[in-house]
Amino acid sequence: MRNYLVACMAVLLLAVGCTPQPDTPKEEGVFPYPIQQTQLDNGLNVVTVPYNSPGLASFFIVVRVGSRDEVEEGKTGFAHFFEHMMFRGTDKYSKAEYSEALKAIGAAANANTWWDRTVYHMTGNAEMLDKMFELEADRFMNLKYSEEDFKVEAGAVKGEYTKSYTSPYMKLYEKTYNTAFTTHTYSHTTIGYWEDVVDMPNQYDYSLEFFDRYYRPEYCTVLVVGDVTSDKVNDLARKYFGEWQRGTFTQEITQEPEQTETRFAHVQEANFPPILNLNYKGPGFSVENKDMAILDIISSLAFSQKSDIYKKLVVEEQKVRELSAGGLNTVDPGLWSVDAMLVDKADMAYVKSEIDKVLQDLKTNPVDSIQLTQTKSFIKYSYAMGIDNPSDIANSLSWYIWLTGNPADVNKAYANYEAVTAEDIMRVANKYFVDEHLTVATISPDEELQVSEELNIKL
Amino acid sequence: MFLSLLSLTTVAQKVVELPMASTKIVVKIAFENGSMSDPVGKEGLTNLTAAVLTETGSDQYTKSEIDDLLYPMAAQYRAFTDKEMTTFTFEVHKDFLNEFYTIFRSLLLNPSFAERDFSRVKSNTEVYVKEVIKASSDEDFSKMALESRLFAGTRYAHMKRGSINGLANITREDVVNHYKAFFTRNNVTIGIAGDYPATFLETLKADINSLPDTQPEVPELGEVPMPDGIQVQLVTKPDNLGTAIFTGYPISINRASADWPAMLVVNSYLGEHRKSYSKLYQLIRETRSMNYGDYTYIEWYEAGGSNQLPLTGFPRSQNYLAIWIRPVQTAYSLKSQYPELGDIKIGHAHFAMRMALNEIDRVKSEGLTSEEFELTRQFLRSYMKLYIQSPERQLGFLMDSQFYGMENYIAEMDAKLASLTLEEVNAAAAKYLQTENMYITMITDTNEAEPLKKSLMTNAPSPMSYSNIIRESLPESVFEADKKVEAYPMNVKKVAIEAPASLFVD
Repeated sequence: MRNYLVACMAVLLLAVGCTPQPDTPKEEGVFPYPIQQTQLDNGLNVVTVPYNSPGLASFFIVVRVGSRDEVEEGKTGFAHFFEHMMFRGTDKYSKAEYSEALKAIGAAANANTWWDRTVYHMTGNAEMLDKMFELEADRFMNLKYSEEDFKVEAGAVKGEYTKSYTSPYMKLYEKTYNTAFTTHTYSHTTIGYWEDVVDMPNQYDYSLEFFDRYYRPEYCTVLVVGDVTSDKVNDLARKYFGEWQRGTFTQEITQEPEQTETRFAHVQEANFPPILNLNYKGPGFSVENKDMAILDIISSLAFSQKSDIYKKLVVEEQKVRELSAGGLNTVDPGLWSVDAMLVDKADMAYVKSEIDKVLQDLKTNPVDSIQLTQTKSFIKYSYAMGIDNPSDIANSLSWYIWLTGNPADVNKAYANYEAVTAEDIMRVANKYFVDEHLTVATISPDEELQVSEELNIKL
Repeated sequence: MFLSLLSLTTVAQKVVELPMASTKIVVKIAFENGSMSDPVGKEGLTNLTAAVLTETGSDQYTKSEIDDLLYPMAAQYRAFTDKEMTTFTFEVHKDFLNEFYTIFRSLLLNPSFAERDFSRVKSNTEVYVKEVIKASSDEDFSKMALESRLFAGTRYAHMKRGSINGLANITREDVVNHYKAFFTRNNVTIGIAGDYPATFLETLKADINSLPDTQPEVPELGEVPMPDGIQVQLVTKPDNLGTAIFTGYPISINRASADWPAMLVVNSYLGEHRKSYSKLYQLIRETRSMNYGDYTYIEWYEAGGSNQLPLTGFPRSQNYLAIWIRPVQTAYSLKSQYPELGDIKIGHAHFAMRMALNEIDRVKSEGLTSEEFELTRQFLRSYMKLYIQSPERQLGFLMDSQFYGMENYIAEMDAKLASLTLEEVNAAAAKYLQTENMYITMITDTNEAEPLKKSLMTNAPSPMSYSNIIRESLPESVFEADKKVEAYPMNVKKVAIEAPASLFVD
């Protein structure tokens, strides 16, 4: 079986679906297309991935600023709010003219913000690349909006919060991070606290400061994937972004102190299935350190549909409706979680004990070598199956751009999976699955005190 | 793309082929059988049948054995049911095509529908219909509630996942029998994309041809009548920050209709999905800061909250024109934020609704200008090509084209948009837009329902309640426009206040 899988991997590395440029060597690894990078004198990274998508290109700008950078009191949610302001015009293109120009391009264009980054993306006609560069460079270098426009845009963010906050999941997500982190800015979610969202119209001066700090070439990477050449992309980057001035700002993020006892976050909600999440402090993402890769392997091997606990709790006993595990790749240490949706709230303690057993077992017993090999295959093929169009390819590379600054690290990240051993899994399980580093999060019709007592957690 | 109608022993087989250099093989097996085939009293049977099939075993493997076998392949298969179509899609790397298909084949041809798998999937579906849809997204909740009223009395009315009582009545035997009667060789289309061997397709076609030979008896949809006036449903939830709004009235056209390209332009101009340049978005979100977005639709848009581009697999012969106004602030929310709004009884819902209807009236009577038409057409001719940017999307749109008797919807629309005239667009706007008769569903705050009902029923003016900080920032022209809109007469005939528990019962 093992030889068979190795043979399959070799075939995988030769995946077609694009025509690599004959003169551009491809780095060895999971990513099947050449990644061509250059850096302008002002620090702007420019990345091109030629891909056989006739007439189509994806144009991304990744800004390495997110809610992680919101260190000041009362400014939670600002990175996301600022993303909204980026659509409010310049001297050259008023808000209305920008909107009209965007419509004329006929692209799928939008932006989104998360803990560590803000991503602006457009997918459209490759022949419009020059116009895409012109529009994006203009607003990234020359954004200009009135105080009135600034105040008005805040209502849209409030609307975004309002639409999402009806969900009990959203309430739990917010509460979980607020409980697990006391010092680090991961304690607030990207959209920010409601009171800060309400106060946003009063923060005009701060918005100018924010733009001046972060919307600078050294924080940004331009990434183009599709029916393009690197020569053309680099020429356009120099033409439109060449005059952009490098900034000077750097932000120190206070790191989270070590957690010393189990914490508890609860949302009381009737008429909703009970939820149990076990959230352990995990590592920050790094390609130099395998820990995150090892936790990803554990997520899949120990909690996917293939796992023994899934078969027991979900398929056979039917006490759990959904079960999964995983960690978010974040710049600083984040959370690795096991998530369960239960059938009956009375089984909360039982389900927790079953999950605990799996985590304890990982600490002491080496995993089966065939299962480990299969998990590596699962992870690699899952990635290979998800990159068959410019937008998905650009999206997959954007992760490494904001996490490490280098999209080619995708190959190192997947090489790390290949190198994981049974001993690594025991080491990482012992390191991270520690009660003192755990935040238990629940949704249940019962009150917080009752649920915490059932789970034997001190409030 | 090749379309072949192969004469087999007794039936012509519909196959859409999309050979291309791609390591991923995508196969879609689409049955013209959706939730409208659900028997009365067993609402949800078609979706449940398809869902159990993807979560059960076969005559050769249990569900868990299949999970074990597929794990290293990272192969996926899923089912998607809409009103008139159910599609099974599998995606597998070419390295594993034959190995995977051996398993999937046994599932498709000889599913076990094990009692244990049936009860699990049924229970999950029941909790979704009873609790999850009502609690997790007011927006999706409002859309499902609206459809159940707009299509009342037809087999389109119930949610595809079913009703509480309908699901309760479904047994494993129902699922087994429904699969045999409605997933047959006589109502199926095969779609395949990727670098697949010809021999594989021959095997697939032969296997699909061995499905039961029964002719599915899909009921007629029947007429979907225009409502009498504006009929409003207010669904109440305590302490709700927002009012989620969805509206609709039936229209007689679909993708195959002569007026469709013109209405694509009208719809895009008024309210293109998730686009900031459409009129409703500009008026309600961009200018007045009232919510996150405002859109219109001339056909169902699956999972619009999480998708920027349309999906495939939901072709419908009956459409409705919809307005989606994303949650606007309730009085409960506004009062908690701004002391100057401490006396208000209703939030922004009535005003937002009037703003949308007023704009639709304007476009109906004035139409688009030549510049607006040209720009919107240019946008659509580029944007619609993005619908098919992946092999899976290309295949899905080609297969949906078949449902409407078209060969390639995207290509045909591009050609028709190219020759479209402003006169045709404005004639379509005048013909299909109207504001007199429609259903409106609002998910709102419990304390807002009675005052909002009174305001709607009496056509009371609903001045926009801006906070001071927003009011100071807006130009006088906005207040002048608001003055006209706040008294816009709505033809409201009925307002019903309902609790979430009363919905999706039958």
